[in-house]
Amino acid sequence: MSRKPSGIRVVRSGGYIVHIDICEEVSMDCVKDMHKLYYSIKKEIADLVDEIVPGVTSIAVYYDPRKISGEAVESKVRELWLWSRSIDIAELYKPRRFTIPVAYGGEFGPDLQFVSSWSKLSEEEVVKIHTSRVYTVITLGFTPGFVYMGEVDPAISAPRLETPRVRIPKGSVGIAGRMTGVYGLESPGGWRLIGRTPLTMFDYRKNPPIPIHPGDEVVFKSIRPEEFEKLFGVFVGDYSA
Amino acid sequence: MRNIRVVHVAGHATVQDLGRRGYRAIGVPVSGALDRMSAVIANALVGNEPRVAVIEVFGAIAVHLLGDFVVSVTGGYPKVFLDDVEVEPWTPLYCRQGSTLRISPTGAGRVHYVAVSGGVVCDEILGSMSTYTRGAMGCFGRPLRPGDVLEIGSVDPAEVWERVSDLVPPEQLVSRHAKPEAPLTLRATLGIHTHLLEDVELLLRNEYVVTPESDRMGYRLNGEPLPSAKKLGRLPSVPTDRGYVQVPPDGKPIVLMSDSQTTGGYAVALHVLPQDTDFLAQLNPGQKVRFKLVDISEAEASVRTYLEEVNKPPLYRKELEYWG
Repeated sequence: MSRKPSGIRVVRSGGYIVHIDICEEVSMDCVKDMHKLYYSIKKEIADLVDEIVPGVTSIAVYYDPRKISGEAVESKVRELWLWSRSIDIAELYKPRRFTIPVAYGGEFGPDLQFVSSWSKLSEEEVVKIHTSRVYTVITLGFTPGFVYMGEVDPAISAPRLETPRVRIPKGSVGIAGRMTGVYGLESPGGWRLIGRTPLTMFDYRKNPPIPIHPGDEVVFKSIRPEEFEKLFGVFVGDYSA
Repeated sequence: MRNIRVVHVAGHATVQDLGRRGYRAIGVPVSGALDRMSAVIANALVGNEPRVAVIEVFGAIAVHLLGDFVVSVTGGYPKVFLDDVEVEPWTPLYCRQGSTLRISPTGAGRVHYVAVSGGVVCDEILGSMSTYTRGAMGCFGRPLRPGDVLEIGSVDPAEVWERVSDLVPPEQLVSRHAKPEAPLTLRATLGIHTHLLEDVELLLRNEYVVTPESDRMGYRLNGEPLPSAKKLGRLPSVPTDRGYVQVPPDGKPIVLMSDSQTTGGYAVALHVLPQDTDFLAQLNPGQKVRFKLVDISEAEASVRTYLEEVNKPPLYRKELEYWG
């Protein structure tokens, strides 16, 4: 479904959250609108609320009802929505570009074979397609440092696993439909794993623990297993291609 | 040395405070005590500030006290022994150096808090000492095991005792475990996907049972499933929080808890109020809950009261007792 005529859907939840749905299905247009609203909210009302968290097509604003009412947060969000429609994202956020080296296939990407047969392309072609786009960071979430990115070429947009894996090594790179993502830490998960980056994506001793933000750009670069060993543990913020 | 040593753990024990705030946008869960009110009361009973770290215990624990401390145990109503003498939970206890504090569950409540005057002290990670095991962060980054030594902040126990010895917690918290067979009413607002679940009424009409698959990430409930959740399947991931009632395709609700992931792709049917999520944390497998819908103004009023009480726990002074 596309966007509703009124624009956004706002739900007040639990007495301390204002949830905003930008649209109901993932598209990069929707993500762009979400980013504009997210950075507008951050810029304009960050000091009035506790926390502002983007989802894939939505935003949650966590507030303290002793300081501000949900009604007031909602009306500010609606004003900012109208305002954010008329501006360019560049006025709010200047994206950075990150290169993420990835060893594809084999033990690094146990589902590359599946994606190859699903797409009726060779593994090399799948890798070529995955590395040929500049992806936009949609959001971070799920577990520390998990990065959601879009938009994956429809040719390789394999669906997620029916039953998620219990344990996925950190740095794993996966595909779930039109999104691609990197697991910042070891965790369970259901994305199709096509490769793994040797970079440390998330390190709580660093400030910030991950330098990647919504709206940033990511390109993947195919590396050989020997390079994986050499680059293992390099912080994503310290790596340059 | 002012510290305590873990002697025995049967179950799951971690160090928790009120959690890691402000990092959800990079995927870091809040963590912190499952039953926050019990954690802050435990602290208040030993003269600590609300945000001080305590030990959270599912099951049994024994700790050896390598110093004089004022200690309290809250949460459920477990059996508590100081060396071999049975003592009461929910009250300040003056413990001499060399004594051993043991807690064993009774089925009254599920998750217990041990506060020590001066507080457990670990390195703060992203503003909190809470252990988040999945991210290997905070105080060992894993559950406590025998032999672990926890550093305790420096305060004078005698001075603390002067201030706290006659403090009494609110009766409704202490006695809430008295009727384990009665369903617990969980007040909730509509969730962010209620409009997509045409059979959400089922959740509000039926009783649900806490299952053994309940932990610091979420409490899974069993009962009448919501068929509409199967049709919905997976939605674009949304930011979540403790108290969100997620309904995965099997239609059975999961109430998210402190270590839940920061975003989730399942429909959110309801949002249990924070105060009632504390209460839910105390239910053992087999105990029943019922959801009761409240509107936003009631929810905001409840959250305001709750936050006030978390910052300034409601404690009383023991009245003078007269002996006839």
